[in-house]
Amino acid sequence: MRSNDLITPEGTKDLLFEECIIRQSIENKIHKIFNGRGYYELITPSIEFYDVFNHSSTYFPQEKLFKLTDCKGRLLVLRPDNTIPIARIVATRLKDTPLPMRLYYNQCVFNMAPSLKGKSAQIVQTGIELIGSSSKMADLEVISTAIEVLESCSSNSFSLEIGDIRFFHELVNKLDANDEQKEIIRNYIENKNYPALNDYLDSIGKNDITHALKKLPRLFGGEEVFEKASKLFSDEKIDAILANLKDLYNDISQIIGNGNLTVDLGMVNRTDYYTGIIIKGYLEGYGEEVLSGGRYDKLISDFGYDVPATGFAVNVDAVTKVEMKHNPVEAFDVNTIVYSEPGYEMKALKIAEELRKEHKKVEISLFDSIEETKKYSEEKNIENIISVGETVTEVK
Amino acid sequence: MSKPLRIALTKGRLEKDTVNLLEKSGFDCTAVRDKGRKLILPIKNANIEVVLAKANDVITYVEHGVCDMGVVGKDTIIEMSGKFFELVDLGFGRCKFALAAKKGADFYEGYGVKTIATKYPNVARNFFESKGMDIDIVKIEGSVELAPLLELSNGIVDIVETGTTLKENGLEVIEDIISISARLIVNTVSLKLRQKEIEDLISIIEENLK
Repeated sequence: MRSNDLITPEGTKDLLFEECIIRQSIENKIHKIFNGRGYYELITPSIEFYDVFNHSSTYFPQEKLFKLTDCKGRLLVLRPDNTIPIARIVATRLKDTPLPMRLYYNQCVFNMAPSLKGKSAQIVQTGIELIGSSSKMADLEVISTAIEVLESCSSNSFSLEIGDIRFFHELVNKLDANDEQKEIIRNYIENKNYPALNDYLDSIGKNDITHALKKLPRLFGGEEVFEKASKLFSDEKIDAILANLKDLYNDISQIIGNGNLTVDLGMVNRTDYYTGIIIKGYLEGYGEEVLSGGRYDKLISDFGYDVPATGFAVNVDAVTKVEMKHNPVEAFDVNTIVYSEPGYEMKALKIAEELRKEHKKVEISLFDSIEETKKYSEEKNIENIISVGETVTEVK
Repeated sequence: MSKPLRIALTKGRLEKDTVNLLEKSGFDCTAVRDKGRKLILPIKNANIEVVLAKANDVITYVEHGVCDMGVVGKDTIIEMSGKFFELVDLGFGRCKFALAAKKGADFYEGYGVKTIATKYPNVARNFFESKGMDIDIVKIEGSVELAPLLELSNGIVDIVETGTTLKENGLEVIEDIISISARLIVNTVSLKLRQKEIEDLISIIEENLK
C-alpha cells in the first residue's frame, strides 16, 4: 500500500512563518476589538456528537461532515460550525447566567471540501455571539463591531452587506407551494439564477407574489433597493420588515467609514439558521465573503433554552490570504548573533539576554568558529555579530 | 482606471457566439479574433479583459473570483456545480442532455442494474437518483456512443444537439433529461463590489440578445 506520510490531506495545509505571523496579528487585532466590547472567549471541543448539528433549524449535509465514532459506536463529527456548539453551551452550562451574554471564539471549522477545487476543509473562524437581546441596539452593536473588524484587519477596501431573511420568508409563505417547491425557489434566489427562477415561478402561477419573488434576487445595491422593494409587495408585516431594515441601513451608513454599505434582500442561504437581519462582509481581492452573520433567535431553543441571539464570524484564513498578498511581512528578522569562544558560553548567554532587553532579536551561534558564524550570518542576513571571549567585540 | 472586468469565455463554439454577441453590443473584439496563442485579451474600447478557458475552468476561475464573469454552458454548470450567480440565459449553444440506448432496445426492461456510460457522471447520477434507480456509471472521455455498441453499457447520458451521431450509430433518445444553453455567470463578490459595471454590461448584452 502506498503511504501518505509526506503530504497533508486535501483541503488542509501547513502554515509556515509569515502566514503564522500575519494570522496571529490579525487575530490579536480582532480579539482586542472583541475584548474592548466586553466579549469573552470560549473554546469548544473539535469533536462533537453528530446530534448537536442535526436539529430542525440547521442544515449540514452528511457528505460535508468529517465523521468518527466514539468507543460506544456513537457518531461524532469534527465541528462544521462554531455558533451551534456555543448555542449548546448557552442552553446548558450558561443557562442561569444573567443576560445579555457576550461570547467570542477563535477556532477551526471543518467541512469536507469538494475535490480539486482549491478550497479548504479546515478554516479558522473568529467571531462573536451576543446572547439574550432582540433589540435594535444589539443588532447595531454586532454590526458596528463587524465594521470595526473589517476596517482593522485589512487595508483593502471592504464592503458590508445587510439583508433580512424574513422578507423572503414572508413572501414565499404566502405562496401556495409545498416545502420542496419553496426550497427550489430559495435555491434559485440564492444563486441569482434569474432565468430558472422565472420559468419555475411561471409554472407555479402568475400573481403579485410570484412577480415579487422573481424580482427578489435583483433587490441588491444601495438605498434605492428599499423603494424598489416597497413597490413590489406591501402588507403590514413586509412593510415593517423593510422599515426596520431601512432604519438600520441609515444608522449604519453613519458609521461605515471608508467602507461601502449595501443591501441584498436576496440573501437566502440554506445553511442559515438566521431568523432576521443577516450581514456579510467582503474584502477587495477575495472571491468569497470573509465575514458572515446575523440574528438567530430560534437556534438556542433547539437545545431547550428559548433566547434570542445575534453574531458573526470572520474567516481568518481568508483575511490572512488577502494580507499575505497586499501587506507581506518578513519572517526572518533576527539582527544580531552572539558567538562564544570556547569556555565563555555562560557569558555569551548573559550578553545575549542583555541585548534582547534592548529589543534586539538575538540568536546564539552554534558554530565552532567565528568564520562559520560569519558565513552563516551572511546567508541569513544577520547584521551584527558579537564575539564573546575574554572581551566582547563586535565583528565586522 | 480601475482593474479591468475579467470575463472568462469557454473556448470553441461558445467563444464564437459570445464574441459575436459582444461585437453586436458594440465592444471591439479584434484582439480576441486575432488572438494567436494569447489567453488574456483586452477589449479595446472598454475596461474589459477576455480570458479564454476550457468550460470547467471557466467555472473554477469565476468561483475563485480571479475572473469576475464567465460564459459557460448549462451542461458544465450542472455537472460541476459551485457557488456563483447565474444571471443570464444567453440563448445560444442550445442542446439537451438525454438518455440514449440502442434503437429498439427496451432500456427500462427488467430489474437488473443498468450500466450507463457518460462524460457527465453527476448528471447521470442525479437523473437516475430522481427515478430511484441504482445504476453503475462508467466515465468515458471520448465518443460515448461507442460504449453501448461495444456492449460496455446499456445506455448513455450525453449532450444531444441534432441526434445525427446517435442515429448513425444505431442509437436513439430514450428520454430527454434537461435542455441546455449558454449562461452568463458572475462571481458572488464581484457582483456586489462592482455592481454598476456588471449590471451595465449585462443590460447592454441583454439588449442585444433580442
